[in-house]
Amino acid sequence: MEKKIGAYLCKGCGIGEALDFKALEGVVTKEFKKPVKSHECLCGEAGLAVIKADMEAGEVTLPVIGACSPRVMTDRFMFPGMTPIRANLREQVIWSHPAGDEDTQMLGEDVLRMFMTQATKVNSPVPYTEGEFSTTILVVGGGFAGLTAAREAVKAGHDVLLVEKKATLGGHAASWSAIVPSKPPYHDPETNPLPKLIEEVKASSAIRLVTGATVTKTSGMPGKFQVELSDGSSHTVGAIVLATGFRPYDATKLSHLGYGASPDVVTNVEMEAKLSAGKVHTHAGAAPKSVAFIQCAGSRDPNHLPYCSSVCCSVSLKQAIQLTKADPDVMVYVIYEEMRTPGVTEEFYRAAQEAGVIFMKGKASKVEGRHGITVTVADELLQQDVPLGPLDMVVLATGMVPNSTDPDAPAQEYGAELLNADINPYPTEGDYKPAASAPPGGSLLNLQYRQGPHLPMLADGFSDSHYICFPYETRRTGIYACGPVRRPMDMGEAHEDAMGAVLKAIQVIRNAAEGMAVHPRAGDLSYPKINLNACTKCRRCTVECPFGAIDEDEKDYPVVNPTRCRRCGTCMGACPVRTISFDNYTVEMLSSMVKAVNIPDEFDEKPRILIIACENDAYPALDMAGIAGHQYSSFVRILPVRCLGSMSALLISDALSVGYDGVVLMGCKPGDDYQCHFVKGSAMAKERLSKISDTLKSMQLEVERVTMVDASIADSARLPKVIDELVAKIDAVGPNPFKGF
Amino acid sequence: MNAISPNPSRAYDLNFARYVYENIDGGERLRMCMQCGACSGSCPIGQQMDHGPRKLFMMIRAGMKEAVLTSNTIWNCVSCYNCVVRCPRKVPITYILHDLANLAVREGFDAAKKADNARFAKAFMWSARKYGRTDERLVTGIYYFSFGLLEGMKRGMGNQKIALNMIKTKRMHLGMPHAIKAKDELQNILAKAQEIQDRHGKGA
Repeated sequence: MEKKIGAYLCKGCGIGEALDFKALEGVVTKEFKKPVKSHECLCGEAGLAVIKADMEAGEVTLPVIGACSPRVMTDRFMFPGMTPIRANLREQVIWSHPAGDEDTQMLGEDVLRMFMTQATKVNSPVPYTEGEFSTTILVVGGGFAGLTAAREAVKAGHDVLLVEKKATLGGHAASWSAIVPSKPPYHDPETNPLPKLIEEVKASSAIRLVTGATVTKTSGMPGKFQVELSDGSSHTVGAIVLATGFRPYDATKLSHLGYGASPDVVTNVEMEAKLSAGKVHTHAGAAPKSVAFIQCAGSRDPNHLPYCSSVCCSVSLKQAIQLTKADPDVMVYVIYEEMRTPGVTEEFYRAAQEAGVIFMKGKASKVEGRHGITVTVADELLQQDVPLGPLDMVVLATGMVPNSTDPDAPAQEYGAELLNADINPYPTEGDYKPAASAPPGGSLLNLQYRQGPHLPMLADGFSDSHYICFPYETRRTGIYACGPVRRPMDMGEAHEDAMGAVLKAIQVIRNAAEGMAVHPRAGDLSYPKINLNACTKCRRCTVECPFGAIDEDEKDYPVVNPTRCRRCGTCMGACPVRTISFDNYTVEMLSSMVKAVNIPDEFDEKPRILIIACENDAYPALDMAGIAGHQYSSFVRILPVRCLGSMSALLISDALSVGYDGVVLMGCKPGDDYQCHFVKGSAMAKERLSKISDTLKSMQLEVERVTMVDASIADSARLPKVIDELVAKIDAVGPNPFKGF
Repeated sequence: MNAISPNPSRAYDLNFARYVYENIDGGERLRMCMQCGACSGSCPIGQQMDHGPRKLFMMIRAGMKEAVLTSNTIWNCVSCYNCVVRCPRKVPITYILHDLANLAVREGFDAAKKADNARFAKAFMWSARKYGRTDERLVTGIYYFSFGLLEGMKRGMGNQKIALNMIKTKRMHLGMPHAIKAKDELQNILAKAQEIQDRHGKGA
């Protein structure tokens, strides 16, 4: 169907009073030769009726709506057919700039030019829906989280393939004597729910159980993963839930806390085994009369686990209560630095205090003696070393190490440097070649991906991408982590986690089948298309994709796996020959939008600065600045992008060559504590920016003209000031000599 | 129950905290202490204390029996109950401090014998037992001379002016000490109280 563009301008919310509509309409009719209609209130029934009537009559197929921000009224301005283009005249023009002003009018006209241009460049996306899509969910790991995930997936109507490495189900939790309370009044240890859960899973006909097996190979993409198991079978699954759990920190590394020197210094896991066996006794066989728990044994320690495992405090409380219940005469000490009892577990802490457990705030600095052990406590409250003894037993509360790689052949104990080596967000020159061999260590899924067999991890080794903003999402689309492999957690949290990961898995299965993206561009039908005729096989797209969506074929050409893609466009921004594009998002489109702006000549003293803004954080923050009435320079022109990663360096040289005086990149914070919705998009933009100075020098331009600003969603008050400062700074450099060429 | 260590000179006694929890008046609530310091912060005479209640309670947990029972904190409490009112965990701090003072006396700590407040308390109790009332002259006399003959005379002379003014304004009388009528009933009450305390002290 032929694309017919029509513009609709809204006079509501004060836009009509602040801008000269005759001039605005003139931009559409004279410059673009398209029909335009203005209305007092476009989002009202009467206003919508105008657009609908034109669309139904076939006069317009793609409306360009010059009104409020595209972030609001999305449901009102949704019509059958193409998604309307929205020119933001309210938040980013009249609410953030003075009404009736010459510069505000120029800004409004330029905004209209940019989005009219966008309308001429977009095409309706044709989604990827080729072949069969599976709805089966593969759950890897048969511990508490995995079993819960399997049960919940079946409840939601999906078939499950559950793979457990061990011969029996239940994982660590199966052997626990009791669990931390999950129900009010949170005072007493509860019965272990595992036996019942295992029975439920075994009884379910929708769950195919494979025990004593591992995943040997995973290829394909969401909706059509091909999985091979060590028993020789192969399966097609739609999504994967990773619940490989944790292993306790290796206590043999804790000799400074007496482990190994005395048989009566045990770990919390060993104590749990004693409690499960019934009677707790020392190595000599006697019932202990005095026991000390040492918290943070090898945790929150730069030489061991740098993080808090969050459950060890609750577990020690439980074991202490169990010990005092079994024998009221036993003296139980808990030596802690900070008692971390998240949520209602605080009640459990009180229960332990009531039971007579003695809490000492301090650090265990020495553990001496084989029998009659003495723990020297550097007591923070007393400011002195207290020798605590003689003790019959010492329990080390060790933390959790995620099973992000095969626990029998771990890539490393913690830390992601090694596994991230082949996808370093800041590759140095010449680092674009694939690694010679896969990183050491056994992988869990053995992904047949260009970016390697492992799941990327966070700095502490957890398989997650951002545990606050995007929980469960690994950096491999369609693979969702839950339980302690994602972050340290207790069983209550693991239960919720399993459900969350299953919901994510169901979402990807449903969206993939319809060719739609998942979070954060949920519902996007476009996907990257590569014109291989122009491809130079430089591998930037296959290396830079934050989600490993692009593989290489035997001739080194890139191959897109559409359902793995999250549509950030990082590949598009990476491609040096602009040969990667989406149906509705291309470098050419962005470049045309940039060039659509009227650039006044240098004698007008009206500089133009292009802001390339990430539409996840920076763009809404600028909207909010408008809502709050913060004013900023009318010399800026804002170009929203899916992610700063999709910004091609060519866009900057295009902008400067048409006479913009400066370019500002606004995106999320890159680095280890990144806030980028696409993990490393903004890091890639930063990387490209660092290389732009050569381009600027070759154009005889000052490097100060191009800057990058970290922006978060909460920056609405800060950004206007930052913009004004940058405009002043770029203005001081002087006008761009390319103006008027 | 682990008995308190028979050797009072031991600096760290693993069982001391448990002993206090189970045998000291109000000690049962002490296990709920969360070391917030509201007690020490609200104590009007905290500056006259070597440790203050919060630290003293932590010392109990650390088993520092001797340090606790020789501390002046247990003697200097004036029972204003500010801390008890403010304690978020409802620890009856005043009771605990007083009973720890009792324990210090029972355990025969030298510091407990020599403490200023212990001497005064002893004189006060002597008068209370004998007359059912406090006789200002005798109580202060016994208190002053507990420091020795010379020191007693010095302190007595130092307060001469106050004593004369008290006599002038009839706040202190001359002549025989006044006594209550039913002294034997008072003896019964005190005997019963002693019996209860002894039983308590043994952890029964």
